[in-house]
Amino acid sequence: MDIDLSVDIAGVQLANPLMTASGTCGYADEYADFVDLTTLGAFVTKSITLEPRQGNDYERVVETRAGMLNAIGLANVGLDVFLDQKVPLLEKLALPVFVNVAGTTIDDYVAVAAALDDVPVVRGIELNISCPNVKAGGIQFGTDGAQAAEITARIKEVCGKNILIVKLSPNVTDISSIAAAVVDAGADALSMINTLAGMAIDTETRRPVLANVTGGLSGPAIRPVAVHMVHSVYRKVASPAGVPIIAMGGIQYANDALEFLLAGATGLAVGTALFVDPACLTGIRDGIVEYLQRHGHGAITEIIGALEI
Amino acid sequence: MNVLSNVRLCRGHYLMRLGGREFPPTLPGQFVQLQCRVPGEQPGWSAVEVAPGDWPKPTGRELTDAEPLLRRPLSLAGRYDTEFDVELDIIYSVVGTGTAWLARAGQGDEISLLGPLGNAFAISESKPRAALVGGGVGIPPMIYLASAMQAAGKRAVAFCGARSADMLPITLTPSQFGQFGVDSVIATDDGSLGWKGFVSEPLAAWLDAMDAPDRQAVVYACGPEPMMRAVAEICIARNVECQVSLERHMACGMGTCQSCVCKTKSDAEQGWSYKLCCTDGPVFNARDLIW
Ligand SMILES: Cc1cc2nc3c(=O)[nH]c(=O)nc-3n(C[C@H](O)[C@H](O)[C@H](O)COP(=O)(O)OP(=O)(O)OC[C@H]3O[C@@H](n4cnc5c(N)ncnc54)[C@H](O)[C@@H]3O)c2cc1C
Ligand SMILES: Cc1cc2nc3c(=O)[nH]c(=O)nc-3n(C[C@H](O)[C@H](O)[C@H](O)COP(=O)(O)O)c2cc1C
Ligand code: FES
Repeated sequence: MDIDLSVDIAGVQLANPLMTASGTCGYADEYADFVDLTTLGAFVTKSITLEPRQGNDYERVVETRAGMLNAIGLANVGLDVFLDQKVPLLEKLALPVFVNVAGTTIDDYVAVAAALDDVPVVRGIELNISCPNVKAGGIQFGTDGAQAAEITARIKEVCGKNILIVKLSPNVTDISSIAAAVVDAGADALSMINTLAGMAIDTETRRPVLANVTGGLSGPAIRPVAVHMVHSVYRKVASPAGVPIIAMGGIQYANDALEFLLAGATGLAVGTALFVDPACLTGIRDGIVEYLQRHGHGAITEIIGALEI
Repeated sequence: MNVLSNVRLCRGHYLMRLGGREFPPTLPGQFVQLQCRVPGEQPGWSAVEVAPGDWPKPTGRELTDAEPLLRRPLSLAGRYDTEFDVELDIIYSVVGTGTAWLARAGQGDEISLLGPLGNAFAISESKPRAALVGGGVGIPPMIYLASAMQAAGKRAVAFCGARSADMLPITLTPSQFGQFGVDSVIATDDGSLGWKGFVSEPLAAWLDAMDAPDRQAVVYACGPEPMMRAVAEICIARNVECQVSLERHMACGMGTCQSCVCKTKSDAEQGWSYKLCCTDGPVFNARDLIW
């Protein structure tokens, strides 16, 4: 029996739900030798800002138990170089591309989002209002419902052909209320979760391990938190509004991906696990197919949100 | 690849030889990312017996496993191609969970490695002599480089530094460098073997005994950062070309995560920019670095 893995993210058709998590696969050039990007349903880029950013000082990462902390600080080439040098590489992928957009002011975000309307290979914008690693004049768009709604609405105006995916921060009291605010403001899809704020201390020197002091936790350690958040947002916001969720947070094996699908995710992004094993996408995809066969399903969409309580 | 042998070289270091049917071309200075855990399935799944034609089922429990998540970057210490297989050497010191796992690996065990990664040492066309300066776990890539020096017909000398004789990851008779016709000079911090003091001191003496070292020799260095800085200063003061191999904490090793940055001189406004140790390096020209 042929299994249909295709999913629909707000009108963008994907051959399967697997994507790269922003910041963990660059712009598709770096991994060329190691990963078969054709196993993906879509490609999500590293965050792009209007101007190039050097990022934070070294050290930028530290491994923790079943996870890692990073404080890269949105190091990226900036919009112009992205358009000139990276877009041609993305065009070669023959995959829908979602570009993750970040900034420090709403105007910055708007300028980048507007420029991407003219790039055919780009099908969507993933709005990063949730990066825990940049000090941006104290503004954290992602942790305040009203600000999150305002930026969503402003970007939606300039999105043009691109769908608008808003990436949510887990570092909030009630993620469902932020989700509701951005959906009301026009978000076509939600992606969750970004990294959890965390820190590590070198006890000998009594100093923080990361130069940025704090960082964002990712990897298998955060998966239960992410599954819970996807579950809550799916029930309270996404399912009633008919808005798809792209889930991420610790997906490494097929069973991890299945948890998210059952909790209500339509898309699945893999981040930290790509560092560990760039070939893990194939294993995840094959494992999902095996599961669907074993449970007598013909299409992956049959198990989205199929959690029984 | 599979572990062919995994032996203790000295109190601090192990030599692992890995064998496989094939491996892409490699160069001295390049490294691999080793997965310090059993490759493959989700932990807990592979332990479940599965009847042929059946699907594996999870146990319902997720094992908490003591194996690290990220891969570990380790330099290639040598490569030996035979008609049937490729053999790669890794020399490592046990400093934490990952390397402790490696030390427990036995003959026949499968180990997943990603690579080759990074750039390589550049071998000068014109300069006939070379100094291969390694400190502690910086010595392994120098052994691989020695084989390339021999192939390129260079006269090379290895300068090996260690804290003490029992922390030196090479043997003297036969010496790993000797097999490639490269003599070695040993320095130990405590004087338990060879020169007492830092390895940079005999290096300076070697350069100063040479006519026009700037036109004769290239110095390659890998080891603790203070040692490499000392070597770089000695070379820069004498206008001698110096290539150093840096270490950075890495998540991916493939140029995507942006974690392994090194500050290098550049035309940018602030006078520097970041380069990635994993793809732009690990080998850098000492003159370009801002330490
Ligand atoms: C390009 C390169 C080549 C290297 N070549 C060798 C070699 O040939 N032989 C050798 O013994 N060691 C080498 N190292 C260092 C080696 O990577 C570390 O000793 C090893 O990662 C320690 O892992 P652990 O789990 O035992 O230690 P832990 O301290 O438990 O590791 C914790 C985390 O920190 C990272 N880490 C710890 N020390 C280092 C370090 N010195 N450099 C980079 N990451 C580190 C680990 O990868 C891990 O993510 C090299 C490092 C780099 C960057
Ligand atoms: C090194 C690193 C860099 C990241 N950079 C970005 C980024 O630029 N923009 C963004 O929205 N998320 C970024 N993330 C977050 C991931 O996209 C993802 O939300 C998170 O890591 C959880 O997924 P994972 O557990 O599969 O890694 C980054 C994560 C890591 C580990
Ligand atoms: S280790 Fe990821 S970019 Fe160098």
